[in-house]
Amino acid sequence: MVEPDYLAKNRALWAKVNAEFTGPNAARAWADEEEHTWGVFGVSEREAGLVLGGVAGLDVIELGCGTAYFSAWLAKQGARPVGIDVTPAQLATARHMQDETGIVFPLIEANAEDVPLPDESFDLAVSEFGASIWCDPYRWIPEAHRLLRPGGRLIFLGTSPLNILCAVEEPDSTSETLQRPQCGMHRLAWSDGGVMFHLGHGDMFRLLRDTGFEVEGLIELYAPESAQTHEYYSAVTADWARKWPSEEIWAARKPN
Amino acid sequence: MALSESDYVAQNRALWTQSNAEYTDAEADRVWLRDEITWGMFGVPEHEVGILGEVYGLDVIDLGCGTGYFSAWLARCGARPVGVDVTPAQLETARRLQRETGIEFPLIEASGEDVPLPDASFDLVFSEYGASIWCDPYRWLPEAWRLLRPGGRLVFMCNSPLVILCAVDVPESTSETLQRPQRGMHRLAWSDGGVEFHLGHGDMFRVLRESGFEVENLVELYAPDNAETHEYYSFVTADWARKWPVEEIWAARKRD
Repeated sequence: MVEPDYLAKNRALWAKVNAEFTGPNAARAWADEEEHTWGVFGVSEREAGLVLGGVAGLDVIELGCGTAYFSAWLAKQGARPVGIDVTPAQLATARHMQDETGIVFPLIEANAEDVPLPDESFDLAVSEFGASIWCDPYRWIPEAHRLLRPGGRLIFLGTSPLNILCAVEEPDSTSETLQRPQCGMHRLAWSDGGVMFHLGHGDMFRLLRDTGFEVEGLIELYAPESAQTHEYYSAVTADWARKWPSEEIWAARKPN
Repeated sequence: MALSESDYVAQNRALWTQSNAEYTDAEADRVWLRDEITWGMFGVPEHEVGILGEVYGLDVIDLGCGTGYFSAWLARCGARPVGVDVTPAQLETARRLQRETGIEFPLIEASGEDVPLPDASFDLVFSEYGASIWCDPYRWLPEAWRLLRPGGRLVFMCNSPLVILCAVDVPESTSETLQRPQRGMHRLAWSDGGVEFHLGHGDMFRVLRESGFEVENLVELYAPDNAETHEYYSFVTADWARKWPVEEIWAARKRD
């Protein structure tokens, strides 16, 4: 597949973000935590309805793994993860953390829309703010379906459509006024160079069904009472996110 | 144990008695014999939505049937409907249309939250703007589950959470600014006396699953390009509805 135009833009953006934040933050992200927490406000697995469940013994692919802290957590729980990402700088950080911690698993430089791995080789496909917002869902979701064994699950976290409807570019913030239509919403190019993909819930549901998934969950996440605005991903405030969902998790299953 | 009537039932009955006099009685004459099934205030055809499936030969219960037009359409497709509603004035209109058209089916005065019919007696539970917004989902969804045979389906239309987030009570209109939080959204009492129930998608998904349903589909509807603002339900304009969804349809299946 010819590399889509947005790949280079997103790679450049994430090389910069890695220098500014995810690189220096990697050690903290890789540190031991009992429970995986979701998104920028650290919502616990329990509050998210135990959507991930038990992962021990599962072959897991992380689509858009970045510095691979989620895969590292999965490895510590006894899963066998493989991390995929397009940004060499982030993968370099991930490899450095593997060296530091001794938690080792394959890291492959590739686009989640076109993964050089065989059909039906994974039990679980995950993406937390990886492919789930940086790749075209009309490409990466069918690819996830291909990679999953029958009975396998797809779980991904991304920005809520409501957050995107209210997102203001300059200055980078989240309004209480709708900024753009939801009808036809798909691809958004921001002034920082990034190209993101967001679908309304109806469009995402249709895509998952048409791809051959059963939708098992749509979990809208709010910022916990005690949460504060993220130090780096600060476009949405904790106050906004206590009233409206800023992030969401979809859970789907490839039927047997 | 008989439930004492919830406070909102009386309020909604009063509201719909008035609406029947103002609009739905005359509307029934126009729509009962219409040739095609359409959804909601902008008349989106079912053949475009494709969510009802084959209804021929099915036992169907219409929770909050109003003047019974949707049940009449289903009867003409070969289903065996039963209409349930709390508002005597609307049921009288339904009975009048039954006499005039010869399309007969049982009409029962009851709340969708507490239906005096046996367990597992229907193949399809249906609601277009009936129980789906005028009854408490934490009550009517478990009741729908009880009424369904194993593998039976639930299909209902309600307002999108987004239009409710943007709804202004006085003057009755729809803003482009969020008017209320989505977190905890459940029951809304309007100044016209009506009490409605609206959940965000995450909460609706959760209550459907906890009530024993697999969620099969969520379709968000937009106003067609040539649609005009509704003559009676004019709180939202066709222009707003072309950009953001006003209505949505859920489809679910009772888990075996």
